[in-house]
Amino acid sequence: MSKPVLSAFALIATFLLVSCDDSNDPQTGRIEFTFHHEVDGEPVIFNEMRYANAAGNQYEITEVQWFISDVALVTKNGAEVSLYKDGFAHYIDTNIPETAMWKPSDRLPAGNYPAIKFTFGLKGEKNQPGTFPDLPESNMIWPYPMGGDNGGYHYMKLNGFWMNTSEQRMPFNFHLGVGQVYDAEDKVVEFVQNWFEVILPADINIQDDKTTGVHLFMNIESWFDTPVVYDHNNFGGMVMKNQEAMGIIAQNGKDAFEARVQIISN
Amino acid sequence: MTGKLRLTVFLLSLFAFVASCILISCEGDNDKIDYKPTPFTFPTLPDFPSKMNIPKDNPMTVEGVELGRHLFYDGRLSGRTHPDSLMSCATCHIQSKAFEVGIDHPRFSGGHPRGIPSIEYPEGKPTPHMMLPVVNVVFNNSGYMWNGFLESSNNATSMPGYDFTGVEDLNFRNLEAFTYMAIVAEHEMRGSIAKTVAAIESDPMYREMFRKAFGTEEITADKISKAISQFVRSIISYRSRYHKWLRNEAELTESELRGHDLFFSEDADCFHCHGGTALLTSFEYFNNAKDAAFNDSRDRHSITKNLWDIGAYRAPSLINIELTGPYMHDGRFKTLDEVIDFYSEGLVYSPYVHPLMKFVHDGGVRLTDDEKADLKAFLLTLTDHELLTDPKYAAPEAIRQWLAH
Repeated sequence: MSKPVLSAFALIATFLLVSCDDSNDPQTGRIEFTFHHEVDGEPVIFNEMRYANAAGNQYEITEVQWFISDVALVTKNGAEVSLYKDGFAHYIDTNIPETAMWKPSDRLPAGNYPAIKFTFGLKGEKNQPGTFPDLPESNMIWPYPMGGDNGGYHYMKLNGFWMNTSEQRMPFNFHLGVGQVYDAEDKVVEFVQNWFEVILPADINIQDDKTTGVHLFMNIESWFDTPVVYDHNNFGGMVMKNQEAMGIIAQNGKDAFEARVQIISN
Repeated sequence: MTGKLRLTVFLLSLFAFVASCILISCEGDNDKIDYKPTPFTFPTLPDFPSKMNIPKDNPMTVEGVELGRHLFYDGRLSGRTHPDSLMSCATCHIQSKAFEVGIDHPRFSGGHPRGIPSIEYPEGKPTPHMMLPVVNVVFNNSGYMWNGFLESSNNATSMPGYDFTGVEDLNFRNLEAFTYMAIVAEHEMRGSIAKTVAAIESDPMYREMFRKAFGTEEITADKISKAISQFVRSIISYRSRYHKWLRNEAELTESELRGHDLFFSEDADCFHCHGGTALLTSFEYFNNAKDAAFNDSRDRHSITKNLWDIGAYRAPSLINIELTGPYMHDGRFKTLDEVIDFYSEGLVYSPYVHPLMKFVHDGGVRLTDDEKADLKAFLLTLTDHELLTDPKYAAPEAIRQWLAH
């Protein structure tokens, strides 16, 4: 399209915009997420063997990579206002600092929202290959032999090391995604969806033309306890092919999140 | 939006419209009057990344790619004309070897490229690392070279020991800088920017090609690097049997399928580093447990200064891996069998090993002989034979004729 045509189009569009009467515009505001990863109430210090989980395993964290999806604010009446304009999921990667901030372009009706709801990982019907063709999300691929149909994506990769009973620094890949049930011949007979929904009390107040900040914390120690104490020595370094381990992780993770709210001036 | 704000936006838009009309009416650059390059288009590839690494200041055009193809193959890129001193990109990036040098190269023994010979290095100075494929690089948005030196965040404007005199706006953020580095590096063309520009200027053929590609006949280092980068970005490999199988255009054998499933399993666990369905690379950097001690000043740590990047290198794309030996950054493995054996039994622990090497204390993933055979069978499906002879990537006739003289 030539420059004059483009300019004319922009001019007409702007004119139409300006001519609209805004006296009845609903009041709307925006929301901005900041994602934090903590252990025992403090920001993670990566690559140092400084933590101990509920089973007593000493461990260190190299990186955390995960998907949050289907985020919605919940009204007092239980209705949900979804954030969808920028896609249904956001990827967070501790190696890529900019992913710790997410400001969806959705404009939300002003008002009070006592809770926030989201899916940890990706729901089965949305966890389809090709959904994320580009980096960094594409590196979360969960292959079809372990995911069914044509595969999908990891919900989370939490990589690091733990000290085993022989005082060896052992790598662990605490990876969560679609689980499998195997028969005696090591053939998959069933796939298990391990994603889960989280509803957090948050007291979010959306104000007209303002941005409300929500700080979402993942408390990493929570993945290793409540309701089940997770011992790396029982499950070893890999869990993608171990539904028993992934099932425990999914149970434990439901209380791993916390939200804190602040108003951000525009 | 308030009424006052909207009025301001309207007035600004009106001003922009009027200004753009005036600007357009004043465009009278006679040099560019018939400069109408044709936008370059890629085939639609559903399994490939959608984001392409094409800088805004170097959009791809059919004419730019064609000029780049000529320059890529032109030995005068070295700034010399004597037959013994010619060197081009294609001297080492050989189409029939998937644009690598090939392990059986008659001059670069063991597949290790060397620069133009000098008194100090009569056989030519060897490159610090082995080659990386120059196919599908347009899909790489995560930095180039084994250590990611060329990446968008690199703010360096010079390199110790390299003389980039003649380059304007020097930066090391993208492929464009490769040409400059290749021209002046002692282990490559060992030349100078000025001599290269002069050598290319000496052939009248190029004036018209530069005009078609860039709007003027003026030949500059900047345009040379941009044209070569355009050609390199145009080289895509998507017709291997594996790629065709992904598109339901071909079948894989039982052994190849078992190898595929192993590749994408926790048992062989190749995919965590070589993931990405179409390219089989994560474009990330890993210490993959080759060594217990490290002394390479060009590893990923040299870029990031992070201790955990000591001994870490890019996980390369495995497309055409059959042809791109020797393997690893230092070429320590000559065959695919050696590579598979290494990941099966040869891993070595160090404090810097990446946690994805989770079998490091067992020495590796411990594959059976049958599993190794299946995995290799799958890796051989990644060879794109059509790429190796595709005329659009081959040496241009004009360059062949010049060389014949």
